[in-house]
Amino acid sequence: MGYEPLVNQNPLRVLNLGRGSKQLGLVMARAGLGKTALLVQIALDSILRGNRVIHVSIGESIEKTKAWYDDILQFILQEHSVSRPHELIDMIARHRMIMTFKEDTFSRPRLEERLNDLILQDIFRPNCLVVDGFDFGRADRSTVEDIKEFLESMNLQAWFSATSHRTDNRVSPAGVPAPCHEVDDLFDTVILLKPEKDATIQLEIIRNNGIDSDAGIGLNLDPSTMMIKEG
Amino acid sequence: MKQDLDRVRNIGISAHIDSGKTTLTERILYYTQRIHAIHEVRGKDGVGATMDSMELEKERGITIQSAATFCNWKDHDINIIDTPGHVDFTVEVERALRVLDGAILILCSVGGVQSQSITVDRQMTRYNVPRIAFINKCDRTGANPARVVQQLRDKLNLNAVMIQIPIGLESDMEGVVDLITMKAIYFDGDQGDQLRFEEIPAELQDEAEEKREELLDAASMFSDELMEAMLEEQEVTEEMVHAAIRKGTLSLELAPVMLGSAYKNKGIQPLLDAVNMYLPCPTDVENIALDLDNDETEIPVSNNPDDDLVALAFKLEDGRYGQLTYIRTYQGVIRKGETIINTRTGKKLKVGRLVRLHADEMEEIEEAGSGDIVALFGVDCASGDTFCGGKLNWSMSSMHVPEPVISLAIRPVDNKAQGNMSKALNRFTKEDPTFKTFVDHETNETIVSGMGELHLEVYIERMKREYGAEVEIGAPQVAYRETITRHADFNYTHKKQTGGSGQFGRVGGYMEPFEEGEYEFVDEIVGGVIPREYIPSCDKGFQASMKKGTLIGAAITGIKMVINDGSFHAVDSSDMAFQQAAKGAFREGYAKAGPIIMEPIMKVAVEGPSEFQGAVMGSLNQRRGMIVGTFEEGNYTVVEAEMPLSEMFGYSTTLRSLTQGKAEFTMEFSSYKQVPKSVAEDLIKAYQDEKKEG
Ligand SMILES: Nc1nc2c(ncn2[C@@H]2O[C@H](COP(=O)(O)OP(=O)(O)O)[C@@H](O)[C@H]2O)c(=O)[nH]1
Ligand SMILES: [Mg+2]
Repeated sequence: MGYEPLVNQNPLRVLNLGRGSKQLGLVMARAGLGKTALLVQIALDSILRGNRVIHVSIGESIEKTKAWYDDILQFILQEHSVSRPHELIDMIARHRMIMTFKEDTFSRPRLEERLNDLILQDIFRPNCLVVDGFDFGRADRSTVEDIKEFLESMNLQAWFSATSHRTDNRVSPAGVPAPCHEVDDLFDTVILLKPEKDATIQLEIIRNNGIDSDAGIGLNLDPSTMMIKEG
Repeated sequence: MKQDLDRVRNIGISAHIDSGKTTLTERILYYTQRIHAIHEVRGKDGVGATMDSMELEKERGITIQSAATFCNWKDHDINIIDTPGHVDFTVEVERALRVLDGAILILCSVGGVQSQSITVDRQMTRYNVPRIAFINKCDRTGANPARVVQQLRDKLNLNAVMIQIPIGLESDMEGVVDLITMKAIYFDGDQGDQLRFEEIPAELQDEAEEKREELLDAASMFSDELMEAMLEEQEVTEEMVHAAIRKGTLSLELAPVMLGSAYKNKGIQPLLDAVNMYLPCPTDVENIALDLDNDETEIPVSNNPDDDLVALAFKLEDGRYGQLTYIRTYQGVIRKGETIINTRTGKKLKVGRLVRLHADEMEEIEEAGSGDIVALFGVDCASGDTFCGGKLNWSMSSMHVPEPVISLAIRPVDNKAQGNMSKALNRFTKEDPTFKTFVDHETNETIVSGMGELHLEVYIERMKREYGAEVEIGAPQVAYRETITRHADFNYTHKKQTGGSGQFGRVGGYMEPFEEGEYEFVDEIVGGVIPREYIPSCDKGFQASMKKGTLIGAAITGIKMVINDGSFHAVDSSDMAFQQAAKGAFREGYAKAGPIIMEPIMKVAVEGPSEFQGAVMGSLNQRRGMIVGTFEEGNYTVVEAEMPLSEMFGYSTTLRSLTQGKAEFTMEFSSYKQVPKSVAEDLIKAYQDEKKEG
């Protein structure tokens, strides 16, 4: 399709993550390191594999969420030429839907109702969900289990982002920091983002498709796009 | 000229329909002592509100004119610019937003933040307009200012903070508590003229203190002085708080919220005080001009009355006083009798009468300084033109004018209407660059086009009312476009031998998609294979071909035409012959260049109770819509979608029946996009059939 640059430098594609249909993934980082950008890359990778993605934003507006995609795409298109940029932008828009919720409006039943609205009327049939802004600090284990079970029943792949805090040192045995240290076993894949001294972002895989990996598998990412650094 | 710009306020009042904009404006004008009786909106005395000079507007209850009215409050000159609230009038709204420095956002205490408020507020943010919110109709049953404040935060993303709390609500609404002075204010007398200041009622004391804390917390973000005073528990003076609120408001990071009831004469005078205290004066705002002699370089205007004049004509009005051109000056002084230059046309003109419009009278003035808003009499210009004093060649207007997306045919009912109709059309097209008109030479019909159904309807009604031009109208038509998708070569020879002199011309070159604009002509002819004098003929021939595409007869856009080859005949070549050759070349190239049909796509937002979200999305989906996203808060949702305009006719009826009238929608032009194949086939077939019949 001529979209190689998007594919070749997408960390998900390179690490061969995000292929299992029911897989549940988690992206963790401290505030401001690029969790949303990485979720957008996950969504783009999925879309380029022919999937439809719902981007759930909790506590963010439609406009701002859309702007993340526009900005990242614009950045990529500036750096790499793509044969039909408009077609690409249009294709991505048609394979993505944004669902935003005010913080306390988001819940499993609400999400279920919305997805059913979309699927039963054949408006949009998602294969993948990215969920940004879910507050793990306020959710107990059973809530997360409940959501996981629902996503599995819908045959959906899903990726959550979570914010860790400098001041909170708790970690799970696998090395997943709070506030996810007590639920991390529910996730098949866990990624940690860390700032590097050279202003790039280090992507560290803690667990890949159910297999805990030894520290060390990582990639250096461009902080503005969360794409793999060239050269 | 001595001028105290600190005491000038150019403000707009914006609101969702029926929130009380007209009523509030009327009250403001009354309290500023300019009109002496308050006429109720749609009142029985037949006089009507002063601002709503237009009949039509009164009938529809919507404000579509942006006339400027001058008044004075406590030594401050206030120009109130009437901002249209409907997005179909995009250019008018944006132009009004350009000339005002601050705004009052009116909200109904029951209805809260409604669709038009969202749209207008978005535009205000885009134009960096600081605003004060006024929650009106606190006397209505169901009044809930706290809920409205929350909506200002959630839906408009404003840092909304109450600087007053109500004393009683609904029919018990008596006045307000000022959280800065910590005094109760009552509005006595028939017209609420007399302010009575009292101690805060005991039952409100706790609430007042709590809300004052919130206010101080928010305001202290903008003032170190206030922050320190609070931390060190020293006295917080009124001045400190005012200064902090002003700073926050000007930076758009704080929106002070006030409340009252325009209808019951409550809360208006404090609102005017707040306009003076918190909204910007002309020098608080940076305005940018484009230097036309210097590649349209951006230059901030100086506000200095000693510099050369720079003024923007933002509104043309043909009203009760005759032909007025409203201008805002940005620097320099405009004086009666002096000569100024319209930088768009280069024409000089002498300033005849210069006037200021009060609510009830027109005041002749000698001069107007920078930052002021006044009107010129009988000047021939278009809305958006810039006037300079002669030393500068600047333009204030860089606003992008979108192409019309909808059109309809109009037929005058008789001869008299015919003449009046052309007068009206001539006027309207000058006032509003998004309203266009032309005659379709095939059908001989007059076509008007604009940004939406309501946009055209309003002009048709104005034609009838203001110009006595009664017209019959055809069904609205979507303005489709045609364009090409790939490079194509052409090489066409036009040759005709009829009796005496013949016609000969050959044009060779290529066409390709052009994204930066509508049309570009590039001459790469070398060696004079097409003589100089016939190059413009080629350009003309191409442009004529662009008017009507071959797929469905729609205008063609986005094409670059390059000529690089050709030949001519010493006797038989002519301007005509090369125009014909260019048309033939265009046709030849166009057929090979993958022509497609494009349609206007609208950005649509539907909002209402969450229970209808599924049904709303279904209805949009059925109309070839693409759902961009949804927003949910409590039991309220917004669905945003990109919709083909052609599918939106009658949508308000559908939506009403689908949601028992509980949801509403707004629509705004977004872009042109290719129509899907099946739709293109239908359109092409319809065009072919029509051609056969015609
Ligand atoms: N109860 C009540 N009604 C009001 C108030 N302000 C305006 N109205 C009424 O609301 C309706 C619409 O008011 P109008 O000023 O025309 O609103 P506009 O469409 O925003 O200009 C009219 O019937 C007014 O009398 C108010 O403070 N309280
Ligand atoms: Mg009105």
